[in-house]
Amino acid sequence: MSIELIIFLAMVVVFAGGCFLLKLPVSISMVLSSVVGALVGGQGIPLRHLVEGTFSYVDTILVIATAMIFMKVIQESGALDALSALIIEKFHKIPALLLCLIMLVIMFPGMITGSSTAAVLTAGSIMSPVLILMGVPMLETACIIAMGGILGMIAPPVNIPAMIIGGGIDIPYVGFEIPLAILTFPLAFLFVLMFGYKYAKKISYEEIAPKLNTEPREKFGFKVYIPIFAAIILMVVNKAVPQIPDLGMPLVFLISAVIGLFTGYKIDILKTCKEAINSVLPVLGILMGVGMFIQIMTLTGVRGLIVTSCISLPNLLLYVAMAISIPLFGAVSSYGAASVLGVPFLMAFLAKDQIITAAAISLIASLGDMMPPTALAGIFAAQVVGLKKYTDVLKRCIVPALILIAWAILIIVFSPQLAAILP
Amino acid sequence: MNKQIITASVCLLAALSVAGITGKNFMEVKKPDELRPGPGVTQTKMLSDYFPDIAGTNADSTVYVMEGEQPGGKMLVLGGTHANEPSGYLAAITFVESGKVEQGTVFVIPRTCNSGFTHNDPQEGSPQYYTIQTKGGPRQFRYGSRAANPLDQWPDPDVYVHAASGQRLSGSETRNINRTYPGRPDGTLTEKASYAVRQLIDTEGVNLTFDLHEASPEYPVINATVAHETAMSIASNGMFELQMAGIAMSLEPSPTNLHGLTHRELGDYTDTLPLLMETANASQGRLRGKTNADLVLTGKDKCYVKAQKLGFLYVPYDETGHPIEERVGRHLQGIYEYSKAYSAQYPESPIVYNGLPSYQELFLDADPSELGGTQLGKYLN
Repeated sequence: MSIELIIFLAMVVVFAGGCFLLKLPVSISMVLSSVVGALVGGQGIPLRHLVEGTFSYVDTILVIATAMIFMKVIQESGALDALSALIIEKFHKIPALLLCLIMLVIMFPGMITGSSTAAVLTAGSIMSPVLILMGVPMLETACIIAMGGILGMIAPPVNIPAMIIGGGIDIPYVGFEIPLAILTFPLAFLFVLMFGYKYAKKISYEEIAPKLNTEPREKFGFKVYIPIFAAIILMVVNKAVPQIPDLGMPLVFLISAVIGLFTGYKIDILKTCKEAINSVLPVLGILMGVGMFIQIMTLTGVRGLIVTSCISLPNLLLYVAMAISIPLFGAVSSYGAASVLGVPFLMAFLAKDQIITAAAISLIASLGDMMPPTALAGIFAAQVVGLKKYTDVLKRCIVPALILIAWAILIIVFSPQLAAILP
Repeated sequence: MNKQIITASVCLLAALSVAGITGKNFMEVKKPDELRPGPGVTQTKMLSDYFPDIAGTNADSTVYVMEGEQPGGKMLVLGGTHANEPSGYLAAITFVESGKVEQGTVFVIPRTCNSGFTHNDPQEGSPQYYTIQTKGGPRQFRYGSRAANPLDQWPDPDVYVHAASGQRLSGSETRNINRTYPGRPDGTLTEKASYAVRQLIDTEGVNLTFDLHEASPEYPVINATVAHETAMSIASNGMFELQMAGIAMSLEPSPTNLHGLTHRELGDYTDTLPLLMETANASQGRLRGKTNADLVLTGKDKCYVKAQKLGFLYVPYDETGHPIEERVGRHLQGIYEYSKAYSAQYPESPIVYNGLPSYQELFLDADPSELGGTQLGKYLN
């Protein structure tokens, strides 16, 4: 047994023991596991490496924290209720179209930021009351939001994993739009109908009308929506006019949240911020723990062991290895999986069309955001609909995830033929 | 005292202690390595002399000027474009410490992306330093990051749009100096740094520019020279000589649709003839095993040996690895052969220098037990 395998097993055992035996938080278990991994690997307690690893997710942590503050503000200001009532009122007669539109709305922030978290915490939280009012159960609503989030992150125009994978072999991010659209939009419509249509088709406006909270709309009128429009405009403006500096997602959310303080019900900002940060603190801790964990894996050679083991499978099994290893590694980070495994797998499939293959691998990498312990899309989707256990969301999304993988592999297999017919 | 307050205080104290220790360590790596220029260096300048906007920032960097006794052409050597590619950095330092120009002028920037030397990439587990035994005793050299320090330029946009071409890349590439050429005087700090390099080339009338890189062994462009179309005839003549010297080197034309890189933009926007060279560096690869200073200097890695057997690599890889002498030797021999080809093609402005070890001396003739730093150290002061 190689030393790397021993280190890996020690890390897994300590992590599992911390979580399940000692009932420690996931983040603390990851810290312990990292320390043990370093000790077994003969590195002592490398404080610098442990701390450096946690810095991987500084930007993500800021996005999550500020997005949650924004979400709480628009919830408390009445904007969410107002928007839900408006959408249902306008589109209740055509439930299938309504569901597809809702899916596109959920995907939108992901499409322009490349982040499933942004999609789930913003548009997901806005659309969840609509879906629930339409009769879609909480669990299915969370599944729609989670899958919408990860498909939004992959859908064009912005797909960070594809950029990372392409950058690994110097493919510029050009010509990805159509392959990404083919990969994502059919799945998005399929999944939203799979999860929601059987409930939404029975929608009766007369029954749900009394449940709609129309008061914020009546009381504040159009201005209640301003923070939502502000967020959308600030996210889009730099993409449409690149000369305008990118404010960055955290600042976009904070500016929009500040606007929200003046457009609806009065809000106790201190209390709202505290609640928001409290609700995401465990996830932020996990992200830091994961950063530490992967730094130690890299330092000790465990990462190399995993990557070389994955790519050493026979050719036919490469598809299976990719389908399993990339989402599994995505438990650490979907971007990390795209970089560490996505690039070697793209090189293994060099005989295929590179752009389409990179796009399809990025789709598989997106599933990392549904993989525990990070499972950002799953955790936040459960949180925005008010579910206590996010694992139910993950279980329910297994079938869509398998469909997604099959679709991605199919596209890779037929990528030369597809490339020949694409403009 | 309330039990919760005691627990919280202990946790806070522990966190502050860790932050203090690691923060001090982080600040220490900002201190630049001590270089010991040899007699060939006739003056030192700063990159900010060519573009004052970067003075006092982490983008500023020392430019070593080596003037020959006879006039001739002008050559620029860019080392440390990526601070995690040590052969480019060390080749530039070897030039500064051992080289002596006879004809023409050579400008050497060992830390082209100075900011990249002031931090390491999270999750990469990279060493902060590697040590080489030199003539003057053991010397530490910084191992940094491919990109500029986020503390100097933050936050990254979601998508990096290359200003001159509109090309889109992932946001973190905004801090990669070799994606920001030709640079902008009013751009990001990294764009300003690349603009300063361009200004140097224009102001000094640099004829020939080398950008020294390393690549992971699984990267297709490796043990290669990438040449702008204007430099292609020099590159092909030089490569012929390299192959005669037993150095396998492929020649790649600079892609016209990949923007921001020296070999494309310096050729398009200045009169210099740009060439970029790549050697094999396991310590920056995705497939590597245990990551430490030994890996940086020896390139010995069992994961790469396995990957080679699986057919995933673009360079031969066995248990002997790719020691730093081989990688620095390739760069130095490459500069020598290409500059010789330049001098032959432009006899009115030749560039002639001496004092540097050949590939044969540095690598092929070395005692195998001295590979991995000791042999290279013989040419460092």
